[in-house]
This record gives sequence, C-alpha cells and structure tokens, in this order.
Amino acid sequence: MPAADLLLVLVVLADFMVLGTSRLTTCIRAIALQGLMLGALPIALTQHWSLHIVGLAVGSTVVKSLVLPWFLRRAIREAAVRREVEPSIGFTLSLVLGIAAVAIAFGVSQRLPLPAGVSELLVPVALATVIMGFLTLTTRSKAVTQVVGYLMLENGIYLFGLTSTDRVPFLVEIGVLLDVFVAVFIMGIVVFHINREFDSLSSIRLTELRD
Amino acid sequence: MTLFFLGLGLILAGGAFAWLLQRTRIADSVFALLVSLGCAAALIPAAGVLGGRTVAGVAWDLGPPTGIWAFDIDALSALFVAVVLGVGLAAVLYGISYLAPEREHRSVGGTHFLTALFLVAMALVVTARATIPFLIAWELMALSAYLLVVFEDEQREVRRAGLIYLAATHIGTLALVAMFALWGTHAGGFTFDAFSRSALPAGAGAAVLSLALLGFGFKAGLVPLHFWLPGAHAAAPSHISALMSGVMIKTGIYGLLRVISLIGGAPPWWSWTVLALGALSGVLGVLWALAQHDLKRLLAYHSIENIGIILLGVGTGALGIAYGRPALALLGFAGAVLHTANHAVFKSLLFMGAGTVFRATGTRAMDRLGGLARHMPLTWILFLIGSVAIVGLPPLNGFVSEWLVFLGMLQAGAALGPVRAAVLGAGVLALIGGLALACFAKVGGVVFLGEPRSESAAKGREAGPGYIAPMAALALACVAIGLLAPPAVRIALEVAATVAGAAGPARQDVIAPLTAAASGITVVSGGLVVLIGLAWAWRRMLERRRPSAWTETWACGYNGVAGRMQYTAASYAAPLLAAFARLSGIRVARAPGAFHTHPFDLVLERLVLPTWRRMAGTAEAIRPLQQGRLQTYLLYIVGVLLALLLYLWLGGAA
Amino acid sequence: MIAWTAIPALLLVLVVAPLLPGIATKTKSWLTGRRGPPVLQLYFDLGKLWRKRSTYSRTTTWMFRLAPLALLVTSVGAACLLPLDGRSALLGFRGDFIAFASLLAVGRFALVLAGLDTGSSFEGMGASRDATFATFAEPALFLGFVTLFLISGNLSLTGMLGVGAGLLSAWIGGGGHAAPALALITISLFLVLLAETSRVPVDDPATHLELTMIHEVIVLDHSGPDLACILYSSAVKLAVLGALVVGVLVPRTALPAPLTGLVFTGGLVLVAVAIGIVESVMARLRLSRVPQFLVAAAVLSTLGALLVLVR
Repeated sequence: MPAADLLLVLVVLADFMVLGTSRLTTCIRAIALQGLMLGALPIALTQHWSLHIVGLAVGSTVVKSLVLPWFLRRAIREAAVRREVEPSIGFTLSLVLGIAAVAIAFGVSQRLPLPAGVSELLVPVALATVIMGFLTLTTRSKAVTQVVGYLMLENGIYLFGLTSTDRVPFLVEIGVLLDVFVAVFIMGIVVFHINREFDSLSSIRLTELRD
Repeated sequence: MTLFFLGLGLILAGGAFAWLLQRTRIADSVFALLVSLGCAAALIPAAGVLGGRTVAGVAWDLGPPTGIWAFDIDALSALFVAVVLGVGLAAVLYGISYLAPEREHRSVGGTHFLTALFLVAMALVVTARATIPFLIAWELMALSAYLLVVFEDEQREVRRAGLIYLAATHIGTLALVAMFALWGTHAGGFTFDAFSRSALPAGAGAAVLSLALLGFGFKAGLVPLHFWLPGAHAAAPSHISALMSGVMIKTGIYGLLRVISLIGGAPPWWSWTVLALGALSGVLGVLWALAQHDLKRLLAYHSIENIGIILLGVGTGALGIAYGRPALALLGFAGAVLHTANHAVFKSLLFMGAGTVFRATGTRAMDRLGGLARHMPLTWILFLIGSVAIVGLPPLNGFVSEWLVFLGMLQAGAALGPVRAAVLGAGVLALIGGLALACFAKVGGVVFLGEPRSESAAKGREAGPGYIAPMAALALACVAIGLLAPPAVRIALEVAATVAGAAGPARQDVIAPLTAAASGITVVSGGLVVLIGLAWAWRRMLERRRPSAWTETWACGYNGVAGRMQYTAASYAAPLLAAFARLSGIRVARAPGAFHTHPFDLVLERLVLPTWRRMAGTAEAIRPLQQGRLQTYLLYIVGVLLALLLYLWLGGAA
Repeated sequence: MIAWTAIPALLLVLVVAPLLPGIATKTKSWLTGRRGPPVLQLYFDLGKLWRKRSTYSRTTTWMFRLAPLALLVTSVGAACLLPLDGRSALLGFRGDFIAFASLLAVGRFALVLAGLDTGSSFEGMGASRDATFATFAEPALFLGFVTLFLISGNLSLTGMLGVGAGLLSAWIGGGGHAAPALALITISLFLVLLAETSRVPVDDPATHLELTMIHEVIVLDHSGPDLACILYSSAVKLAVLGALVVGVLVPRTALPAPLTGLVFTGGLVLVAVAIGIVESVMARLRLSRVPQFLVAAAVLSTLGALLVLVR
C-alpha cells in the first residue's frame, strides 16, 4: 500500500532527524512529526473503517504530536535550556550506526516469523525505530534528549502493535496510551526535580547519586 | 618446467656471483645479466600457460621425512610467477643502482644474494604443489625478507621493526603448519592433489579455512594482522620495500586463492568474514595512510588498503561459490587477481620513486620536502603515473581492476537471497577510492610541487638512468594494462576460472560480454589521453600567439616567501582525520607556538604491545622458579619424584 | 555501444550549461529583493577571460597549466556517458557509471594538484577542504547508482536512466517500494550536486573572505583562458549532475523526440532555480558539519537501496 509505505519511510527519516540534529528544538519537532505519521498510519493501513480505528488515530495524533511535545517544550522553557545536543559519539557516527540499525532491522525481519500485516515495511521500520531509540537513549546525556529517545522507543513498540489493529481490543489501546502518558509524566517530574536539585538537565550528573 | 628451474638457478647463480665478486668492478653487471636471463627464462613457461598452453608438472618422491616434492604451473601460478619475476626483475635492477653508494659501509653483495634468494623462494612458493616444499619455500621467503629488512641494523628503529616482522610472520607460519597438518591427516596425503581429491568434514573444513585466513592474513597484512607491515616496509631499503609490498604480501593472497580452489568452495560465514575484513582493511588502511608523515610508511599503509580491495574481490568470489552463482565467483576472483597484478606494478613504482627521492634529498619526511618537480622532472612524471594508477583513475590500470571489483559486488545484487546485501560494499569501495584520491593528491602535491620546505629538498637533483629505467618500465606496464583493458580482463577471468572451478558453459557466458564491455574502458581511457593531448597542443599554440606573463604567486596578496608557510601534509589531512575522530590514530601535542601530530598504529599500540607486556609480566612473575642454581633444580626433581611416589602409595594406578 | 543520436542533446547541454549558474544567481537575487546580474553573465565572463592573456606564477609547473584542460575534457567526457536525451548515451557499456564518477575524480585530482602547485597556504587549504568533501560525496553518489541498478537491473547508465530502465513504471507504483526509493535518491543526488558544484550549504560561491572559500580559493592563481576553462567546466559539471537528477525524476522514454529536449531543458532550469532557492534560504554550514551533511546524503541513498533490496 503506497500511502502506508510513504508514511513508514517518513517515520524512518524522522528517526534520522533526531539522530543527526544538533539542536534540541529540532529533536522535539522531529518526534512530533513522527507522532503525526504514527497517528495517520492506522487510517492508511486499515482495510475496513470503524469508529474504533478513527478514534485510535485521532487519540494517538493528539497525544504523540501535540501533548507530549508541548510538555517537552515547557520543560525546556522552565529549565531555560537552549543549548545544543551533546552526544558522546559524534553526529556522523550516530548517523552511520543508525543506518546500520536500519540494515540489521531489514535483514533480521526477513528471517523472523512475524506477521507482516498489510505493509511489508511495517516490521522492519518498527525494529529500526526501536534500535534507534535505544541508540538515542544511550548516547545522549541531556535528560530532554533521553525523553525523546524513550518516546522513539515507544513509537517503535506502537508500530509493532499496528501489525494487528483488527484484533487488538480497546482496553489494550488505552493501556498503551496510558503507559506512554505515565512514562512521560514520570520523566517530566524527574526532569523538573533534576533541575531543582542539581541545577542542570544533564543525566551524567545522576551518577553522583551512587553509593 | 625445466626451463623454469633453469631460470631460477640462473637467478641464484647471479646472486652468488654478486656476493663472491663483490670487490670487483664487474659484480653489478654480472648480477644484472644473470638475473635478467634467469627471469626471462623462468617467465617463458608462465607466459605460455597464460596464453593457453599447458605445462607438465614435476614430482619427486624423496621418501621420509620430506615426502613428495611436486611443482606445477597452472593459470593461477602463472599469473603470480609473472608478477614475482616481472616486478622482481625491475626491483633488482633498481636495487643495483640504489645500493651502489652503500658499497663502502656494508656488504652490498651479500644483500644482492639475499634478494636473489628471496625472489627464488617466492617463485617456488607459488608453484609448489606439496606441503613440505611449500612450507620450506615460505620460511625461506620470510627469513630472507627479515635479513633484508635489517639492512641498516645499526638503527634501533630498524631492529625493532625487523623483530616485530619476524614474530608476526612466524605466528602466521605456525597457523599454516597447523592447517596443513590437519588437512593432510584428513586427506590421507600431503600433496595438493590429495587435498583437492578429498572431501573435508564440516568441522575440519571450518578449522582449515580459519587457520588459512589467520596464516595467510598475517602475510597479506589484513587488519588487524597488519601491525608488522608499516615498520618493516619503512625500514627496509626501497627496492626491498617494493618487493615486499608489491610481491611478498601477494603470496598471502595466492595462498587464500589456492586453499579456496583446493577445497572447492567456502561456506557463507567465511566469505562474509573475508568481505567484512576486506572492507575494514580498505577503509582503515587508507585512513591511517593519510595520517602518516613518513613517505614510506604512508605507502606501506596504502598496501594494506589495496589488500583490502583485493579481499573484497576474494570475498565476493567466495560468496559466489558459497551461494552457487558461478558468474559472481568469476567476477569476484577476476577483480582480485587483476588488482593483485596491478598493485604489484604500481606499488613497486611508487616505492622506487620514494627511494629516488630519499637518495636525492636524504630525508623521507614529507614535511621537509617540496618543489622537487623542478629538478627531478622524470621522477615526478613516473611518480604521478603511479599515483594516478593507485587511485584507480582512468586511463591507467588501477581503474580496470577497480571496475572489475565493483562489477563483482554489483553482480551480487542481481541474485536473490542474502547474497544481495554484498551490493552495499560498493559504497565502501567508493569511500576507499575518495580517501585514496585525497591521500595521493597530498603526497604528490606536498613532496613534488610548491616550494622546497628545507635545504635538503632544495638541493635534490635528478637521478641517473639506473634509477629511472626500471621505474619507466613499470610505468609503461601501468599504461599498457590501462589502455589494453580487454586482454587484461580476459586473462584475469581465465585465471579466476581456475580458482572458481567453473564449468565450461558458464565461463563463456561471462567472459565474452565482459571482454566486450572492457573495450568501453579502452575507449574512455584512450579518448581521455588523446583529448588531453590535443587540448595541450592547442593551448601551446594559443600561448605562442599570446605569450603569458610570469610573476610570483598571487594568493590574494598573502604570499609568504618562505617555503615553510605552505600547507603541510599534516594540515592537509587534518579535516579528513578530524571527521573520523578516534579511529585515525594520531596523538596531538600542543604547546605555545608549536603543534605536533604523531601518528601511531592503533592495533600495535592498543592491542599487540599491551598483550605482549602482559605476557612478559606473567613470565617475569614465573621467573623466580628458574634460579640457575643446580641445587634448586635437583630439589625440583626430588620434589616431583616424591609427589609421584606419594600418589602411587595412596592408591593411584590400579 | 556508441549511439550517434545522442550528439544533439550533448551539444544542447554544452551550449546551455553556462546559463544555469546565471539562473541560480538570478533566483537568489530576486528572492533577496535585488535585481542581480543578467542571466547570460557567465557567457560574457567567459568571452572576456578568453581574450585576455594568462599570468603564471614562477612556482608552478606544467601541472598547473594542464589542470584546466584536464577538468574541461573530463567534464565533457562525463557528459558523453549520460543519456541526456532520455534514451541513450553517446558511449555506453557495462559499468560506465564507474567511469562517470572516475572521470569527475580525474578532474578533481588535477585541480587539487594545481592548487598545491602554487606553493601558497591559501590554495593548499582549499585543496585540502575540496578533497575532504569530495571523499564523503562519493559513497552517496555510488549508492544512488546501486539503487538505480537494483530497480532497472541494468549496469550501464543508458540502461539505468534511458530506454528499458522502467523508471516510469517504478515511479507510478511498480512493485517493491521503488517510488519512495527513487524519491530518496533524487534528494540524495541533489545534495551531492550541491556539494560537487560548491554551492550553499557546502560552500558559498559569493563569499569574499578567503578563509571561508573552498572552490574559489583553489583557482585563485588561474587567469585568462585557464580560468575560462575552469568556470566553463564547473558549469558543465552542474549541468551534468543536474541532468542526472532530472533523469531520475522525469523519465522521458515515453515522450516524442522534440518534446524530450524541451522537457529536459525545463528540468535543468528548474534544478537551477531550486539551487537558487536553497542558496537564499539556507546559510553555509560550519566546515566541521559538512561531512555530516554528506553522510546524511549517503544515509538517504543507503535507505533507498535498502528499500529496494528487500523485495
């Protein structure tokens, strides 16, 4: 299905935008864009329409591309952080690792006996997004970029869930959305508290808490 | 074969005469004459095999302990014999002029004898058909190379490089001995015929291939087994570096190809490993070359890069056999084989050029040279031909072999299944090509162009014909192979067919269209040469009508007269090395008013030497066990005896 | 292998090439509220330079005088390998895209050596930067060719972009994600075009500060007919790489002959306008960011190749 394919390619491009940019606001804008794509995907993937599908699409769009980025932008404003992303491995290497992740995802998903759903790009893109989410989490030190990485991870898991939209009961969807919401809420609290206790939003400083 | 052995005998005799007669005036001429005759004689059967005839092999059964001694020349051996003796002849003739100034201080005749021995040993390695002669020739080659490397053994750096080389080559030889032992016990015989007729069980096959990769990889210099290469090639005299870089490391490639052809294929995991190691060696080799300040170390690292490209071809070919695609196997091996021959030619040319520069100026540091093109125009043109060839640009031979390797990797994409992923190697090969261009533009520009950066560079003068003639012969070979692409491609494909063991019909499907495509290369290369020549002639005509003015360099008015204000090799390479961060292997030292970069070998300094130190530390800890006193040793004997008696008493053996 | 029918298109490109930088500059001027130089300015510059005589530096050797000629011959040669009329190239053989990239590399090699020949630290700086950025542009270009090969199944540029490539069916939704892959490599090839022709965001052709120049600084010491050759070669390189982008974006095999020429020229003009737009909305990247920019182009190409590999 060409529309779904296009959306999935844009999801991967949004992943690369997060990995390659040096500006924090561009990171958040990329994750918002990815949320928009993810919101449109259930509509593009579905064979038969129902209120359920439309509700899922609208709900995801609102939460992923409006509410969560707004939270993050507010966190940045409150903590007065406008600086650059500080990766520990450099942008070029991040991009190269990202494309390696995509290659591995494409290669592995051909071997795994997973249901492809309607589009055969769905599983590889989901796996790639998960791996790139982990990459972002481990190589960025700022708390805000770590939240972005966690959101990317959740987006990837959400994509896995889309392989069987016809059979997922409503309750699980609420659970999925709540999961994301709670995660961001906790991270938001942590962000603010980090800011108040340590006067910086870098999580490397968290290591001072050990022993 | 008798002609072949006769030729080798003549070469050895030439070396012996050079040693025995070294005090007389005719030593050099006798040596040159005998070696030329010997190489020509031994090349005739090889050329015949490449032209399509067959040569009868020889075998002697000398009984235990050495067993059968067998030698033969098939297409693969013929190509390597041509490489060994052709390039070897040029290097030996160059070496006669190169070592002439050293006659007073050292035994030059002895060095010539060792060089002849080195050549003969390499020729025997590529024609041996049984284990014992192969290993004996291999060891002879390694040892004579060591003795040649430590030519200037009064320098500490040279001795250290020689020792590291000796250790590395012996680890490799040990792996080879283990491989042959394992193989021979399974095959029931130690000749290559017995190997090819037997079928190895899976576990033994995996062990044989892994040991082959280790042993031959040490000799070929693939990353991370390359750490001996830069030191040894920089320390040896230039014609020996040419021989080692151009020919000796290729025997490692020969070994890998021979093992593949004898086993009759390789499993996919091994082929992917070779492909990955080839890509790694290619990129890291040229990156580390960019970081070097010493001209010969730079050329040595470039050899590692080219071995990487050759291994990309070998890996592609092995993938072809593993996944059952004969066309892919042919293309991959052909690219590897052609690049082996090409690299031997242009790398030797470049090393000889470096040697000429060293003799003329007395220094190998690139940041002390510059402006040599004015006083050494012939050396510059020949070095430029070598540079254009090694970067893989039309109209020279490097382009033809890189074209073949590219086509091999892309052919993988035409197939179905996991082998398709090999197509992404084309991006890696493109990166390697770009880095090589940057590196050799640096070398040519910093060493030969611009203004001299030191006194020693300013007084460099053109070298004599003894230096220029061998280099010119090699440069001519570069141009010839580049312009005559179809025959070169056809020969490479025929040799590859021997390795891949491809059946008749599949061969013709691939060979004919590729040879036709190669004529397109001839059109491009020939057209390039002709058009540039025409443009040059027309420009000269224009200049005669409107003569130009000559003044100083403008450079926006910021021209410093001092040569030291020019861009140095280190500053040229800095942006590229910065993009690769910690992989580049340079240490930066900053002081007020000074800035130094020191290249070091990542694998040597971070992996090999720390491991060595830890082993030496453990050995030191065990050392107190050996006091050197007789009483302590008698105590050890008595102690073990008492322990054995106690064991027996307490009911050990029933 | 040799198709003489491609000669009219080749001549068209060689004549129209100097128009394209003029269009890009005019677009940039309009977008920034100025009138700008006339579109035919490069033609006037070439004529003026041709009539002058050359001044050479005493430090330079014959390499310096050879470089502009090598650049000219290789740029025109690369144009001969592309199917400019949408059907077939003047010269085509298996693997000719490797020759295409290598010819452009020969020109660059000559220019970098000429820069180091002058013995000036400024030109050395330009040579170093030019070589660095070209290194990172090569993988992006080659991976774009790999994707085209995987889609068309043909190893020659004529087969990838001209008759028999099946690009039209690939765009309109042929099997196997070919359309997004083609879109990705079009963008990647456009980025490579910006890098190879030294446009913003890689290099600013209008800068006056020597420390920020890349391409301009290598040619500081060339003058008269040599400089004319270099400027013309850059224009031809822009036209050639633009023709590559247009060839991927607009397959013209289905159109009748006179219309293809019109569509092709229109496509080239649009590429020049796009360059002008990019130059006016973006600032030049910091020099340490340029490799990252080119790695992003390579990532786009690789993604396109991966999309087509998984079939």
